Amino acid sequence: MTSIHVITDKNKAGYETILDEYFRLRHDIFVGERGWRDLERPDRRDMDAYDNEQATYLVALDGGRVIGGLRLYPTLLPHMISEAFAHLIRGRDVLSGSTILECTRYFIVRERRMGRTDCRLLAAFQQFCLEEGITEVTAVVEMWRLPRWQQAGFKVRPLGLPTMVEGQTCIAAAIQISDDSLRHVSRLAGLRGSCLVRGTGVSNLVDRVPHVAA
Amino acid sequence: MSGRSLDHTVQAFEFIEELDRLATPQAIIDAMERSFAQYGFENFIMTGLPHPEQRIEGLVLLKKWPLGWYERYTRNSYDRHDPVIHLCRRTVQPFEWGEARYDPDTNPKGQEIMQGAADFGMRQGYCLPIHGLNGFEACLSMSGPDLDLTPQTKPAIHLMAMYAFERARLVLAPAPRPNPLTNREREALRWAALGKSAADTGEILGVTERTITAHIGSACAKLTAANKTHAVARALQHRLIEI
Repeated sequence: MTSIHVITDKNKAGYETILDEYFRLRHDIFVGERGWRDLERPDRRDMDAYDNEQATYLVALDGGRVIGGLRLYPTLLPHMISEAFAHLIRGRDVLSGSTILECTRYFIVRERRMGRTDCRLLAAFQQFCLEEGITEVTAVVEMWRLPRWQQAGFKVRPLGLPTMVEGQTCIAAAIQISDDSLRHVSRLAGLRGSCLVRGTGVSNLVDRVPHVAA
Repeated sequence: MSGRSLDHTVQAFEFIEELDRLATPQAIIDAMERSFAQYGFENFIMTGLPHPEQRIEGLVLLKKWPLGWYERYTRNSYDRHDPVIHLCRRTVQPFEWGEARYDPDTNPKGQEIMQGAADFGMRQGYCLPIHGLNGFEACLSMSGPDLDLTPQTKPAIHLMAMYAFERARLVLAPAPRPNPLTNREREALRWAALGKSAADTGEILGVTERTITAHIGSACAKLTAANKTHAVARALQHRLIEI
């Protein structure tokens, strides 16, 4: 069963192996699959200036393996849209505030893209933001992905016109955080309760599993 | 940014705001008619893409098409051969009808369809494919005799089309149609697509060969496929499985 773990500077010590796999997968997907060559690194781990103590990660785990994730970052600090994608915003009027986060590096591993993992991660995302008092989340998203978010029950408003980024037509958009969206996406994800985990780590999870199963 | 493209941005955002207030299919059609006319569009159709066992008539969300053309199109099941629909299934990017190539030898009806549309004044077109959740596939295809499609207008048209589609979907068809295949059927077809026999697949998944054959059999029935190869081809074509 997929669960989505919240990983921040405070609890990252307990997620060392998981985070390493997470950064390796990001490199596989964003450099290998999507061809963002600028991110390529010899250690095959995708990490950038925003992977710092201000970042929050939602990491989807199944049986101790990373199967997806996303990164959230405060918009009051210099963030990716303000620093690199302001030209995608109408009038360059970048949306920022204490209740607004930016979402980047959204991914699901290839073999889980047909199932409900996508919806589970999106549900955890809405739930986490609701619990944190977040009202909106900005993101640069490929246009083709927008209908998937909308069909998941997300209210998404455009912040500018579609623009080519790394060979893909992308748009800057703001996702509204709401109970309605959480309810809708949870239903699609087949969730009766929460799949969000705020823990201290899973370093021992792989060792523990056989005992729990037995 | 030139003044002209600023206009396109303003118009696109006004259209998107207007859509939010529209509650009926007819109101959406009227708003689209007004807003897309400035780019030369006269006709459009929003429709789900049929699975093998479906007919397109049941999947049309809304349309402003010449009646004669719609009747001819559905009577002849043109959607099975339409180069625009074929390209929709293969790309996530919007495209101009002219980019929907077809081989007259393997798809002789392609020519008949494109010519037929032109005879009804639909000489040029722009199509936005939608690839949603759970294998939901649809498109918004718009056309006219002379379109204003340039690098300046296309981003605005793309955005407007995307939001028009979403509004119509919300007003008309709340939920995307689920993938008809079960997880096990999909898994069995995926391994078949990768060249595994039923016995191999059974071993991989830890079940008997007979179980896999049964999954393949029920997948064939759901896809109205004649055999395993046919089922794999259909499942891939309709994005019910990925490899």
